[in-house]
Amino acid sequence: MKGSLYALVYAAVLGAVCALLLTAAAGVTAPYRKANAEAEETLNILMVLNVPLEPDISAKQLGEVFKNNVREAERGGVTTYLYSSPEAQGRIQAIALRFSGPGLWGPIKGFLALEQDMKTIRGITFYEQEETPGLGGEIVTEGFRKNFVGKTIHDKDDNVGIVICKPGSAKQQNEIDGITGATMTCDKVQAMLNEAIKSIVEEKQ
Amino acid sequence: MADKQLACMTCEPKGLCGGRGLLTLKDGAWANNPLAIQILGICSALAVTNRLENSLVMGAALIFVCVGSNLLVSLLRKHTPHRIRMIAEVAIIATFVIVFDQFLKAFYWDMSKQLGPYVGLIITNCIVMGRAEAFALQNPPILSIVDGVANGLGYAVILAIIGFFRELLGTGEIFGYEVLSGQWYAPNQLMILAPGAFFALGIVIAVFNAIKGPEPQENK
Repeated sequence: MKGSLYALVYAAVLGAVCALLLTAAAGVTAPYRKANAEAEETLNILMVLNVPLEPDISAKQLGEVFKNNVREAERGGVTTYLYSSPEAQGRIQAIALRFSGPGLWGPIKGFLALEQDMKTIRGITFYEQEETPGLGGEIVTEGFRKNFVGKTIHDKDDNVGIVICKPGSAKQQNEIDGITGATMTCDKVQAMLNEAIKSIVEEKQ
Repeated sequence: MADKQLACMTCEPKGLCGGRGLLTLKDGAWANNPLAIQILGICSALAVTNRLENSLVMGAALIFVCVGSNLLVSLLRKHTPHRIRMIAEVAIIATFVIVFDQFLKAFYWDMSKQLGPYVGLIITNCIVMGRAEAFALQNPPILSIVDGVANGLGYAVILAIIGFFRELLGTGEIFGYEVLSGQWYAPNQLMILAPGAFFALGIVIAVFNAIKGPEPQENK
Protein backbone atom coordinates (compact mmCIF):
# COMPACT_ATOMS: atom_id res chain seq x y z
CA MET A 1 0.00 0.00 0.00
CA LYS A 2 2.90 2.28 0.79
CA GLY A 3 4.15 1.80 -2.78
CA SER A 4 0.79 2.77 -4.21
CA LEU A 5 0.65 5.94 -2.19
CA TYR A 6 4.13 6.87 -3.35
CA ALA A 7 3.15 6.22 -6.99
CA LEU A 8 0.07 8.42 -6.57
CA VAL A 9 2.03 11.27 -5.03
CA TYR A 10 4.74 10.91 -7.67
CA ALA A 11 2.19 11.05 -10.49
CA ALA A 12 0.49 14.08 -8.95
CA VAL A 13 3.75 15.98 -8.54
CA LEU A 14 4.99 15.09 -12.03
CA GLY A 15 1.62 16.03 -13.50
CA ALA A 16 1.62 19.35 -11.69
CA VAL A 17 5.16 20.19 -12.83
CA CYS A 18 4.34 19.31 -16.46
CA ALA A 19 1.15 21.36 -16.28
CA LEU A 20 3.08 24.33 -14.92
CA LEU A 21 5.63 24.09 -17.73
CA LEU A 22 2.89 23.91 -20.34
CA THR A 23 1.03 26.84 -18.84
CA ALA A 24 4.20 28.89 -18.89
CA ALA A 25 4.93 27.97 -22.51
CA ALA A 26 1.37 28.73 -23.57
CA GLY A 27 1.42 32.03 -21.72
CA VAL A 28 4.68 33.20 -23.27
CA THR A 29 3.68 32.30 -26.83
CA ALA A 30 0.03 33.35 -26.60
CA PRO A 31 0.38 36.91 -28.01
CA TYR A 32 2.47 35.67 -30.95
CA ARG A 33 0.08 32.83 -31.73
CA LYS A 34 -2.87 35.19 -31.55
CA ALA A 35 -1.20 37.64 -33.92
CA ASN A 36 -0.43 34.82 -36.36
CA ALA A 37 -3.99 33.56 -36.26
CA GLU A 38 -5.31 37.09 -36.87
CA ALA A 39 -2.96 37.64 -39.81
CA GLU A 40 -4.12 34.32 -41.24
CA GLU A 41 -7.74 35.45 -40.95
CA THR A 42 -7.00 38.82 -42.54
CA LEU A 43 -5.21 37.12 -45.42
CA ASN A 44 -8.17 34.82 -45.94
CA ILE A 45 -10.66 37.68 -46.02
CA LEU A 46 -8.54 39.58 -48.54
CA MET A 47 -8.09 36.44 -50.65
CA VAL A 48 -11.77 35.56 -50.71
CA LEU A 49 -12.70 39.13 -51.65
CA ASN A 50 -10.12 38.92 -54.42
CA VAL A 51 -8.36 42.06 -53.24
CA PRO A 52 -5.20 42.45 -55.32
CA LEU A 53 -2.20 41.51 -53.16
CA GLU A 54 1.51 41.61 -53.81
CA PRO A 55 3.21 38.25 -53.38
CA ASP A 56 5.29 37.76 -50.19
CA ILE A 57 3.41 40.48 -48.38
CA SER A 58 4.27 41.01 -44.72
CA ALA A 59 1.76 40.77 -41.92
CA LYS A 60 1.99 44.51 -41.28
CA GLN A 61 1.35 45.44 -44.92
CA LEU A 62 -1.50 42.97 -44.89
CA GLY A 63 -3.13 44.87 -42.05
CA GLU A 64 -2.79 48.13 -44.00
CA VAL A 65 -4.29 46.71 -47.17
CA PHE A 66 -7.12 45.39 -45.06
CA LYS A 67 -7.73 48.77 -43.43
CA ASN A 68 -7.72 50.60 -46.77
CA ASN A 69 -10.03 48.23 -48.61
CA VAL A 70 -12.28 46.43 -46.21
CA ARG A 71 -14.63 47.50 -43.49
CA GLU A 72 -16.56 45.35 -41.10
CA ALA A 73 -20.30 45.65 -40.77
CA GLU A 74 -22.68 43.84 -38.48
CA ARG A 75 -25.73 42.44 -40.25
CA GLY A 76 -28.10 40.72 -37.89
CA GLY A 77 -25.95 38.25 -36.06
CA VAL A 78 -23.42 37.97 -38.87
CA THR A 79 -20.22 39.93 -39.23
CA THR A 80 -19.70 40.83 -42.87
CA TYR A 81 -16.70 42.32 -44.59
CA LEU A 82 -17.38 44.92 -47.26
CA TYR A 83 -14.80 45.41 -49.97
CA SER A 84 -14.55 48.92 -51.29
CA SER A 85 -11.18 49.89 -52.71
CA PRO A 86 -10.05 53.56 -52.47
CA GLU A 87 -10.60 53.93 -56.24
CA ALA A 88 -14.21 52.79 -55.96
CA GLN A 89 -15.06 55.75 -53.72
CA GLY A 90 -17.41 54.08 -51.30
CA ARG A 91 -19.07 51.78 -53.82
CA ILE A 92 -19.17 48.27 -52.40
CA GLN A 93 -17.51 45.81 -54.77
CA ALA A 94 -18.00 42.61 -52.86
CA ILE A 95 -19.06 41.27 -49.51
CA ALA A 96 -17.62 38.43 -47.47
CA LEU A 97 -19.15 36.53 -44.61
CA ARG A 98 -17.77 34.07 -42.17
CA PHE A 99 -19.21 30.59 -41.93
CA SER A 100 -18.43 27.74 -39.60
CA GLY A 101 -19.83 24.42 -38.55
CA PRO A 102 -18.95 20.87 -37.66
CA GLY A 103 -16.97 18.93 -40.23
CA LEU A 104 -16.35 15.20 -40.26
CA TRP A 105 -13.56 15.25 -37.66
CA GLY A 106 -13.49 18.79 -36.31
CA PRO A 107 -14.79 22.28 -36.91
CA ILE A 108 -14.62 23.81 -40.38
CA LYS A 109 -14.32 27.59 -40.66
CA GLY A 110 -14.01 29.81 -43.67
CA PHE A 111 -15.20 32.82 -45.63
CA LEU A 112 -17.65 33.09 -48.49
CA ALA A 113 -17.56 36.14 -50.74
CA LEU A 114 -20.43 37.40 -52.87
CA GLU A 115 -20.34 39.88 -55.74
CA GLN A 116 -22.05 43.23 -55.27
CA ASP A 117 -25.32 41.81 -56.64
CA MET A 118 -25.39 39.68 -53.46
CA LYS A 119 -26.25 36.65 -55.55
CA THR A 120 -23.15 35.50 -57.36
CA ILE A 121 -20.37 33.75 -55.47
CA ARG A 122 -17.03 35.54 -55.81
CA GLY A 123 -14.92 33.05 -53.91
CA ILE A 124 -14.56 30.81 -50.90
CA THR A 125 -11.72 30.00 -48.50
CA PHE A 126 -11.32 27.62 -45.59
CA TYR A 127 -8.94 28.70 -42.84
CA GLU A 128 -9.58 25.94 -40.36
CA GLN A 129 -10.40 22.31 -41.04
CA GLU A 130 -9.33 18.85 -39.91
CA GLU A 131 -10.89 16.77 -42.68
CA THR A 132 -9.32 13.52 -43.93
CA PRO A 133 -6.16 14.45 -45.82
CA GLY A 134 -6.50 13.58 -49.49
CA LEU A 135 -10.31 13.29 -49.34
CA GLY A 136 -12.26 15.87 -47.33
CA GLY A 137 -9.05 17.82 -46.83
CA GLU A 138 -9.17 18.63 -50.54
CA ILE A 139 -11.75 21.34 -49.81
CA VAL A 140 -8.86 23.75 -49.29
CA THR A 141 -7.45 23.15 -52.77
CA GLU A 142 -7.85 25.70 -55.51
CA GLY A 143 -9.38 22.98 -57.71
CA PHE A 144 -12.38 22.59 -55.44
CA ARG A 145 -12.73 26.21 -54.39
CA LYS A 146 -12.86 27.52 -57.95
CA ASN A 147 -15.96 25.37 -58.57
CA PHE A 148 -17.85 27.93 -56.48
CA VAL A 149 -16.85 30.99 -58.47
CA GLY A 150 -19.66 32.36 -60.62
CA LYS A 151 -22.37 30.17 -59.09
CA THR A 152 -25.40 31.78 -57.47
CA ILE A 153 -26.76 31.34 -53.98
CA HIS A 154 -30.25 30.47 -55.20
CA ASP A 155 -31.67 28.31 -57.96
CA LYS A 156 -33.52 29.61 -61.02
CA ASP A 157 -36.82 29.71 -59.06
CA ASP A 158 -35.21 31.94 -56.41
CA ASN A 159 -35.10 29.24 -53.74
CA VAL A 160 -32.19 30.17 -51.49
CA GLY A 161 -29.43 27.62 -51.03
CA ILE A 162 -26.59 25.92 -52.81
CA VAL A 163 -26.09 22.23 -53.54
CA ILE A 164 -22.74 20.47 -53.53
CA CYS A 165 -23.38 17.47 -55.75
CA LYS A 166 -21.43 14.56 -57.18
CA PRO A 167 -18.36 15.58 -59.15
CA GLY A 168 -19.23 16.32 -62.76
CA SER A 169 -23.00 16.49 -62.24
CA ALA A 170 -23.35 20.21 -61.48
CA LYS A 171 -25.78 21.65 -64.05
CA GLN A 172 -27.94 24.24 -62.30
CA GLN A 173 -26.67 27.70 -61.45
CA ASN A 174 -26.57 26.86 -57.75
CA GLU A 175 -24.99 23.41 -58.07
CA ILE A 176 -21.33 22.92 -57.29
CA ASP A 177 -19.15 19.93 -58.13
CA GLY A 178 -18.10 18.11 -54.96
CA ILE A 179 -15.16 15.85 -54.20
CA THR A 180 -15.03 12.12 -54.87
CA GLY A 181 -14.83 10.14 -51.63
CA ALA A 182 -15.70 13.13 -49.48
CA THR A 183 -19.51 13.05 -49.52
CA MET A 184 -19.80 13.55 -45.76
CA THR A 185 -17.51 16.57 -45.76
CA CYS A 186 -19.33 18.05 -48.78
CA ASP A 187 -22.72 17.57 -47.11
CA LYS A 188 -21.52 19.31 -43.97
CA VAL A 189 -19.94 22.17 -45.90
CA GLN A 190 -23.17 22.56 -47.87
CA ALA A 191 -25.19 22.70 -44.63
CA MET A 192 -23.00 25.33 -42.99
CA LEU A 193 -22.85 27.43 -46.16
CA ASN A 194 -26.62 27.37 -46.56
CA GLU A 195 -27.04 28.41 -42.95
CA ALA A 196 -24.76 31.40 -43.49
CA ILE A 197 -26.41 32.27 -46.81
CA LYS A 198 -29.89 32.10 -45.29
CA SER A 199 -28.95 34.37 -42.41
CA ILE A 200 -27.65 37.03 -44.76
CA VAL A 201 -30.54 36.78 -47.24
CA GLU A 202 -33.11 37.02 -44.46
CA GLU A 203 -31.31 40.02 -43.09
CA LYS A 204 -31.50 41.75 -46.44
CA GLN A 205 -35.29 41.42 -46.72
CA MET B 1 19.62 -4.61 -29.17
CA ALA B 2 23.00 -4.89 -27.52
CA ASP B 3 21.56 -4.70 -24.03
CA LYS B 4 24.49 -6.22 -22.18
CA GLN B 5 26.89 -3.76 -23.66
CA LEU B 6 24.76 -0.73 -22.92
CA ALA B 7 23.22 -1.55 -19.58
CA CYS B 8 26.59 -1.75 -17.84
CA MET B 9 25.94 0.18 -14.65
CA THR B 10 29.11 -0.73 -12.80
CA CYS B 11 31.71 0.59 -15.18
CA GLU B 12 34.06 3.11 -13.64
CA PRO B 13 33.48 6.62 -14.94
CA LYS B 14 36.11 7.77 -17.37
CA GLY B 15 35.03 11.27 -18.20
CA LEU B 16 31.45 12.46 -18.19
CA CYS B 17 29.92 9.55 -20.09
CA GLY B 18 31.75 6.82 -18.29
CA GLY B 19 33.79 6.14 -21.40
CA ARG B 20 30.75 5.09 -23.39
CA GLY B 21 29.83 8.35 -25.03
CA LEU B 22 31.29 7.62 -28.43
CA LEU B 23 29.88 4.11 -28.52
CA THR B 24 26.43 5.45 -27.59
CA LEU B 25 26.63 8.15 -30.23
CA LYS B 26 27.67 5.68 -32.92
CA ASP B 27 25.06 3.18 -31.84
CA GLY B 28 22.17 5.62 -32.06
CA ALA B 29 23.17 7.48 -35.18
CA TRP B 30 24.62 4.59 -37.17
CA ALA B 31 24.73 0.97 -35.95
CA ASN B 32 21.23 1.00 -34.47
CA ASN B 33 19.81 3.87 -36.50
CA PRO B 34 16.19 4.23 -35.37
CA LEU B 35 14.83 4.69 -38.89
CA ALA B 36 17.06 2.58 -41.11
CA ILE B 37 17.78 -0.34 -38.77
CA GLN B 38 14.97 -0.39 -36.22
CA ILE B 39 12.38 0.97 -38.67
CA LEU B 40 10.77 3.13 -35.98
CA GLY B 41 9.01 6.43 -36.44
CA ILE B 42 8.45 5.99 -40.16
CA CYS B 43 4.98 7.54 -40.08
CA SER B 44 6.35 11.04 -39.75
CA ALA B 45 9.29 10.16 -42.01
CA LEU B 46 6.81 9.43 -44.79
CA ALA B 47 4.47 12.32 -44.09
CA VAL B 48 6.62 15.42 -43.75
CA THR B 49 9.53 14.70 -46.08
CA ASN B 50 8.09 16.24 -49.25
CA ARG B 51 10.24 19.33 -48.63
CA LEU B 52 13.76 19.54 -47.26
CA GLU B 53 12.83 22.43 -44.96
CA ASN B 54 10.00 20.43 -43.40
CA SER B 55 12.31 17.47 -42.90
CA LEU B 56 14.92 19.59 -41.13
CA VAL B 57 12.40 21.20 -38.77
CA MET B 58 10.92 17.80 -37.98
CA GLY B 59 14.42 16.43 -37.32
CA ALA B 60 15.16 19.37 -35.02
CA ALA B 61 11.90 18.75 -33.19
CA LEU B 62 12.78 15.12 -32.62
CA ILE B 63 16.30 15.93 -31.39
CA PHE B 64 14.86 18.49 -28.96
CA VAL B 65 12.20 16.14 -27.62
CA CYS B 66 14.49 13.10 -27.46
CA VAL B 67 17.22 14.97 -25.58
CA GLY B 68 14.77 16.60 -23.19
CA SER B 69 12.82 13.48 -22.39
CA ASN B 70 15.93 11.32 -22.07
CA LEU B 71 17.46 13.81 -19.65
CA LEU B 72 14.38 14.07 -17.45
CA VAL B 73 13.61 10.36 -17.48
CA SER B 74 17.20 9.63 -16.58
CA LEU B 75 17.25 12.21 -13.77
CA LEU B 76 14.08 10.73 -12.30
CA ARG B 77 14.97 7.11 -12.97
CA LYS B 78 15.76 6.21 -9.35
CA HIS B 79 12.61 7.87 -8.03
CA THR B 80 10.09 6.75 -10.62
CA PRO B 81 7.84 3.92 -9.41
CA HIS B 82 8.30 1.03 -11.84
CA ARG B 83 4.55 0.51 -12.33
CA ILE B 84 3.81 3.99 -13.59
CA ARG B 85 7.09 4.63 -15.39
CA MET B 86 5.50 4.62 -18.84
CA ILE B 87 2.83 7.11 -17.82
CA ALA B 88 5.58 9.30 -16.44
CA GLU B 89 7.55 8.98 -19.68
CA VAL B 90 4.56 9.92 -21.82
CA ALA B 91 3.81 12.92 -19.60
CA ILE B 92 7.39 14.14 -19.93
CA ILE B 93 7.50 13.54 -23.70
CA ALA B 94 4.14 15.23 -24.25
CA THR B 95 5.31 18.29 -22.33
CA PHE B 96 8.36 18.74 -24.54
CA VAL B 97 6.41 18.12 -27.73
CA ILE B 98 3.73 20.66 -26.88
CA VAL B 99 6.32 23.24 -25.88
CA PHE B 100 7.98 22.80 -29.30
CA ASP B 101 4.63 22.93 -31.07
CA GLN B 102 3.71 26.18 -29.34
CA PHE B 103 7.10 27.61 -30.21
CA LEU B 104 6.53 26.79 -33.90
CA LYS B 105 3.01 28.23 -33.80
CA ALA B 106 4.35 31.45 -32.29
CA PHE B 107 7.47 32.05 -34.37
CA TYR B 108 7.26 29.82 -37.46
CA TRP B 109 3.58 29.95 -38.30
CA ASP B 110 3.90 28.85 -41.92
CA MET B 111 6.06 25.91 -40.99
CA SER B 112 3.64 24.97 -38.24
CA LYS B 113 0.80 25.00 -40.77
CA GLN B 114 2.73 22.78 -43.17
CA LEU B 115 3.69 20.23 -40.55
CA GLY B 116 0.12 20.22 -39.27
CA PRO B 117 -0.57 17.46 -36.77
CA TYR B 118 2.81 15.75 -37.21
CA VAL B 119 4.62 17.79 -34.58
CA GLY B 120 2.01 16.82 -32.01
CA LEU B 121 2.27 13.23 -33.16
CA ILE B 122 5.91 13.08 -31.99
CA ILE B 123 4.34 12.20 -28.64
CA THR B 124 3.52 8.79 -30.09
CA ASN B 125 6.79 8.50 -32.00
CA CYS B 126 8.26 5.11 -31.08
CA ILE B 127 11.81 6.47 -31.13
CA VAL B 128 11.31 8.89 -28.24
CA MET B 129 9.47 6.47 -25.99
CA GLY B 130 11.79 3.65 -27.02
CA ARG B 131 14.90 5.58 -25.99
CA ALA B 132 13.35 6.63 -22.68
CA GLU B 133 12.35 3.06 -21.93
CA ALA B 134 15.40 1.23 -23.27
CA PHE B 135 18.15 3.68 -22.43
CA ALA B 136 17.38 6.63 -20.16
CA LEU B 137 15.78 4.43 -17.48
CA GLN B 138 19.06 2.54 -16.99
CA ASN B 139 21.68 5.20 -17.66
CA PRO B 140 23.01 8.39 -16.09
CA PRO B 141 21.75 11.78 -17.35
CA ILE B 142 24.68 12.95 -19.47
CA LEU B 143 25.02 9.65 -21.28
CA SER B 144 21.25 9.76 -21.85
CA ILE B 145 21.60 13.18 -23.46
CA VAL B 146 24.22 11.72 -25.79
CA ASP B 147 21.84 8.90 -26.64
CA GLY B 148 19.04 11.39 -27.30
CA VAL B 149 21.26 13.45 -29.61
CA ALA B 150 22.47 10.30 -31.38
CA ASN B 151 19.03 8.91 -32.06
CA GLY B 152 17.60 12.29 -32.93
CA LEU B 153 20.44 12.83 -35.38
CA GLY B 154 20.04 9.35 -36.82
CA TYR B 155 16.41 10.22 -37.52
CA ALA B 156 17.03 13.78 -38.70
CA VAL B 157 19.77 12.87 -41.17
CA ILE B 158 17.70 10.16 -42.84
CA LEU B 159 14.74 12.56 -43.00
CA ALA B 160 16.94 15.22 -44.56
CA ILE B 161 18.20 12.78 -47.20
CA ILE B 162 14.67 11.71 -48.09
CA GLY B 163 13.46 15.33 -48.06
CA PHE B 164 16.35 16.40 -50.29
CA PHE B 165 15.61 13.86 -53.00
CA ARG B 166 11.84 14.19 -52.80
CA GLU B 167 11.95 17.96 -53.15
CA LEU B 168 14.65 17.84 -55.84
CA LEU B 169 12.93 15.23 -58.00
CA GLY B 170 9.38 16.25 -57.15
CA THR B 171 9.64 19.98 -57.77
CA GLY B 172 13.13 20.52 -59.19
CA GLU B 173 13.83 22.84 -56.24
CA ILE B 174 15.87 22.84 -53.04
CA PHE B 175 14.65 25.06 -50.18
CA GLY B 176 12.24 26.50 -52.74
CA TYR B 177 15.04 27.61 -55.11
CA GLU B 178 15.04 26.18 -58.60
CA VAL B 179 17.91 23.74 -59.12
CA LEU B 180 16.75 21.59 -62.00
CA SER B 181 15.60 23.99 -64.69
CA GLY B 182 12.02 23.65 -65.80
CA GLN B 183 13.20 23.93 -69.39
CA TRP B 184 14.62 20.43 -69.47
CA TYR B 185 13.38 18.83 -66.27
CA ALA B 186 9.78 17.73 -65.85
CA PRO B 187 9.05 17.54 -62.07
CA ASN B 188 8.01 14.06 -61.03
CA GLN B 189 4.82 14.63 -59.04
CA LEU B 190 4.98 11.10 -57.68
CA MET B 191 7.87 12.06 -55.41
CA ILE B 192 5.77 14.74 -53.70
CA LEU B 193 2.82 12.42 -53.15
CA ALA B 194 2.62 9.71 -50.49
CA PRO B 195 3.72 6.78 -52.70
CA GLY B 196 6.94 8.63 -53.50
CA ALA B 197 7.72 8.69 -49.78
CA PHE B 198 7.52 4.91 -49.62
CA PHE B 199 9.85 4.51 -52.59
CA ALA B 200 12.30 7.05 -51.20
CA LEU B 201 12.32 5.58 -47.69
CA GLY B 202 12.72 2.04 -49.04
CA ILE B 203 15.64 3.02 -51.23
CA VAL B 204 17.33 4.98 -48.42
CA ILE B 205 16.98 2.04 -46.02
CA ALA B 206 18.34 -0.37 -48.65
CA VAL B 207 21.34 1.86 -49.41
CA PHE B 208 21.98 2.43 -45.69
CA ASN B 209 22.03 -1.29 -45.02
CA ALA B 210 24.16 -2.01 -48.06
CA ILE B 211 26.80 0.48 -46.85
CA LYS B 212 26.63 -0.67 -43.25
CA GLY B 213 26.89 -4.35 -44.13
CA PRO B 214 25.28 -7.26 -42.30
CA GLU B 215 24.94 -7.28 -38.52
CA PRO B 216 28.01 -9.14 -37.16
CA GLN B 217 26.24 -10.49 -34.07
CA GLU B 218 23.66 -12.29 -36.14
CA ASN B 219 26.28 -14.53 -37.73
CA LYS B 220 27.32 -16.03 -34.42
